[in-house]
Amino acid sequence: MIQLETNFEPKIVGFLCRWCSYAGADLAGTSRIKYPPNVNTIRVNCSGRVDPTLVLKALALGADGVLIAGCHPGDCHYTNGNVKALRRFRLLQKMLDQFGIERERVRLEWVSASEGERYARVVRGMTEDVRSLGPLNWKARVEAVA
Amino acid sequence: MGTKRVGVFVCHCGLNIAGMVKVKEVIDKANKQPGVVFAVDHKYLCAEPGQTLIKDSIRQHQLDAIVVAACSPAMHEATFKNIAQLSGLNRYNCEVANIREQSSWVHDDSDKATSKAQIAVRQGIEKVKLNEPLQPITVPVTRRVLVIGGGIAGIRAALDVANGGYQVYLVEKSGSIGGRMAQLSETFPTLDCSICILGPLMVEVYRHPNIKLLRLSRVEEVKGYIGNFKVRVRQEPPYVEEAKCNACGECAKVCPAQVPNEFDFGLTWRKAIYTPFAQAVPPAYVLDSTNCLGLLPQACGECKKACDQFGTGCMNLDAWPQVHELEVGAIIVATGYELYDATKLTEYGYGIFSDVMTSLEFERMLSASGPTSGEIRRPSDGETPREIVFIQCAGQREPETALPYCSKICCMYTARHAMMFHHKVPEGQAYVFYMDIRAGGKGYEEFVKRCQEERGLLYLRGRVAKVYEENGKLVVKGVDTLSGKRVQINADLVVLAVGMIPSSETHELASKLKASLDANGFFSEAHPKLRPLESPTAGIFMAGAGQAPKDIPDTVAQASGAASKALDLLSSPTLEREPTVAQVVGELCSGCGICIPSCPYEALSLNAETKLAEVSEALCEGCGTCIASCPSSALSLRNLTDEQMLAMIEAIVAS
Amino acid sequence: MQETQPYLYFPGCSLRTVAKDFDASAKACARALGFELKEMQGWLCCGAVLSNVDDNLMTKAGPNRILARARQEGNTLVTLCAGCYNVLKRTDLHARHVSPSQQAINAFNEEPFNGGVDVLHFLEILRDRVGFDAVEKAVKVPLKGLRVGAYYGCLLLRPFGEMKFDDPNRPSILENLLVRLGCTPIDYPARTDCCGSYLSVSSTENIQPLSGAIVRSARSCGAKLLAVSCPLCKYNLESSQLQGINDSPPDEFVPVVYFTQLLGLALGIDPQQLELDPRQMQAIRETSVSTVKG
Repeated sequence: MIQLETNFEPKIVGFLCRWCSYAGADLAGTSRIKYPPNVNTIRVNCSGRVDPTLVLKALALGADGVLIAGCHPGDCHYTNGNVKALRRFRLLQKMLDQFGIERERVRLEWVSASEGERYARVVRGMTEDVRSLGPLNWKARVEAVA
Repeated sequence: MGTKRVGVFVCHCGLNIAGMVKVKEVIDKANKQPGVVFAVDHKYLCAEPGQTLIKDSIRQHQLDAIVVAACSPAMHEATFKNIAQLSGLNRYNCEVANIREQSSWVHDDSDKATSKAQIAVRQGIEKVKLNEPLQPITVPVTRRVLVIGGGIAGIRAALDVANGGYQVYLVEKSGSIGGRMAQLSETFPTLDCSICILGPLMVEVYRHPNIKLLRLSRVEEVKGYIGNFKVRVRQEPPYVEEAKCNACGECAKVCPAQVPNEFDFGLTWRKAIYTPFAQAVPPAYVLDSTNCLGLLPQACGECKKACDQFGTGCMNLDAWPQVHELEVGAIIVATGYELYDATKLTEYGYGIFSDVMTSLEFERMLSASGPTSGEIRRPSDGETPREIVFIQCAGQREPETALPYCSKICCMYTARHAMMFHHKVPEGQAYVFYMDIRAGGKGYEEFVKRCQEERGLLYLRGRVAKVYEENGKLVVKGVDTLSGKRVQINADLVVLAVGMIPSSETHELASKLKASLDANGFFSEAHPKLRPLESPTAGIFMAGAGQAPKDIPDTVAQASGAASKALDLLSSPTLEREPTVAQVVGELCSGCGICIPSCPYEALSLNAETKLAEVSEALCEGCGTCIASCPSSALSLRNLTDEQMLAMIEAIVAS
Repeated sequence: MQETQPYLYFPGCSLRTVAKDFDASAKACARALGFELKEMQGWLCCGAVLSNVDDNLMTKAGPNRILARARQEGNTLVTLCAGCYNVLKRTDLHARHVSPSQQAINAFNEEPFNGGVDVLHFLEILRDRVGFDAVEKAVKVPLKGLRVGAYYGCLLLRPFGEMKFDDPNRPSILENLLVRLGCTPIDYPARTDCCGSYLSVSSTENIQPLSGAIVRSARSCGAKLLAVSCPLCKYNLESSQLQGINDSPPDEFVPVVYFTQLLGLALGIDPQQLELDPRQMQAIRETSVSTVKG
């Protein structure tokens, strides 16, 4: 079911934690590092805030991918919110499998406040990966089999 | 609540935004959003005329809420919130959309950057429409300061805060304050005797009524938040009563346990009962229980016998660590540096050839109170070296194999070292291998020139490939790039200017403080230019080499700056905390208690009567982890509710 | 050590020609230690030098072809010559990353290669797979007292970021092996200095400052023998001693052997099988107090 959409621009929702990954994304900005514009960011205080339900809602409403970015383990501003995010993420992945949604569409990455280049690389990589997977078409895929 | 009248302000930021993002199109799109009654652009919204525009617009168009599309909220969110507040709005009716750092600066397609900006603005509009008009939570401020680290940075900061009228706890892990500066012989560029200028400050700290000095102490746990830190400090016992000890040294005379002296980097020995150095403050001896033959059970006890017989009887071998629970409002971190492990620089043979030393070891040798009473000798045979090679940038400015950065002070102290060598060994010859000479401070360039010209030092611009031993000499193979020739020097002594790294326990301390470290392990500043003295974690300030390699003048200036920040924090008896905390929606809570362990601050608990969850607003830091853990959606994060998150997601995917 | 485990093997050109003794001795040692070197299909010259200039693609074309073919037979490739080891290992590392140069090479070669072959040196097999303990147990004729200087040269160790074979300034893997064989390895400063490689062939005035200095350094520290892992190093170190002198070498001649030949002797293999020549055997017998046949 690979759709060859030559002009497909993936729409990716990004949840970035304000202390590390959002600051890292800002650093990419101050360093003027270029990356594709496909990730629209929502700033949360901690990656632990990201409820898996919100991730699924984002996909259901039209996103082709979701990025959750937090601090490296050990560096969480709130001690271990990122570790909790990781646990939830693992369970979410199992759920995605059950829906028949490719795991590559939802990604959890650690980006520190000094990793501007890394943030850009994550965005580039994810954009290309989701682009090659094609549009999600949640309605067609999930609701059709329900 | 009613529909809010939303105003949108789009900043050009000169050409930083307007050069890539089509501002007019952002305005047009904003005007089409439901709720937006006014939208305007401006060249520099953060500047005075821009702020006035916002104020006037709020008044003229009776705006209830504003969205400012500009640089990252990390930059000016506070500025714009203040303006909103001054204009009569609740400060939470102001949202900032990031269209610079995360749009105009990172995309090179104008249309795409513009549509991304439009989406960011739409997100801001949807969020601000649902924001509650919150009032800050007022908390009391504990008007005391904790300074961690008793080197020159900690000493200066402690004195400034204490002179400002507040109580200071100065926590130092070793037996004396003074830090690295106490180990130096002279300081550049004035060639002041280091301990002579430091000593009086150390004594001032000791005598200051507002400073409580806790030596042999480490921070064990930090709880709380800005204005209200609760710090547990564990103090190892010295086994000597500070006030009674007169440093007579009778105890050390009879102590059978000898260990390498850390103050001299192992170049001399000390006893298990010792004074860290001659001018130590507090001027009392310390028993190093790890190297003592044994206290539990007591294996020796000769020191106590000698003290009772010949001294002041101030020893007590039955002592235990003390735990101090400190309550402070601000914390200043001044943990300093140590040197990179030179054994890793296998090309130089440090640790293999005894006549290869680090700069700090050489410094101790130069010192009159050092291992050789200030005479320069080869560690191998005790002879006076004639040919000495200094290697700058050892293990630094080498991203592939060692440290990537420059330690700032090595060019200066190497010049001083080479000059002091010539002064003490007039018939000797010093060679300095360098890559660049960085002498940027006041009087620094003149000092280096003076060293080079007056004393006949040979500066060779090039690196050293290898050092090895042959016939009792150290063969140094390097290159002089200015003449284009390879150079071989048969030296008697080699001194490595090794890089500065953060003190060994920095990482542990940073975790306890929840203060972030940068890529090289130094304490991160909130912003390198605008907020260089504070950690992103509120209430924690920093000074000295623990933040980045620096010399003494900069350290002292930074320490006074950090003290001033702390004094600012303490200047009012109360503090306002962000009210964007978690709240429980009573009707939805089933009392399952799943949220309780998810909180790292223990801000959640089950009410004894209602058996439902409740949030302590003073303890809650607003991370939102509990929100995601609740199966009943009974927890909500003020001004970042799930409803708001969904609205922002819809703003993104709808386009 | 009882099972025969075949390792895919890349001999390289020299080991088929001027360095047959290296190949023969290595294979004999492998048999004695219970594994086999199975030559890969369709190998070709590695080029011996990998350009550090990223757009010098021709030097990478051959090695890529070798690795693509090796990949069809397995994902480990063992080699002996330091030059081949350097070229192949770095080629594999380069191929693992998507880059315009790798794409160009893959378009040029019939068989594209994208990395994934672990290039190992014979010493790594001995240390990590067989284990030096097992090697020591298998020693039948300890070469007691043999004062040998291990010579690493450049290509085993550098560039360190890619080779990661041993400490680039103070390596020890060869000495660690030699000690197990009963030898007394000699530490001398020039162990990791360059022998001059092809320069010694094209510009003979470079031989003495380079290879000559290495031999002098080893000799002055007491080495009676030099052990190497590269045919070109061996050639240079020997010819620096013969330069300008007629056929009978001076008394201080320091023979150069391959480390596999010493290993073979210690394992009790016939010196003829190891292709050791009389001069080398004499040096070994003179200094070693062991009962070496031959």
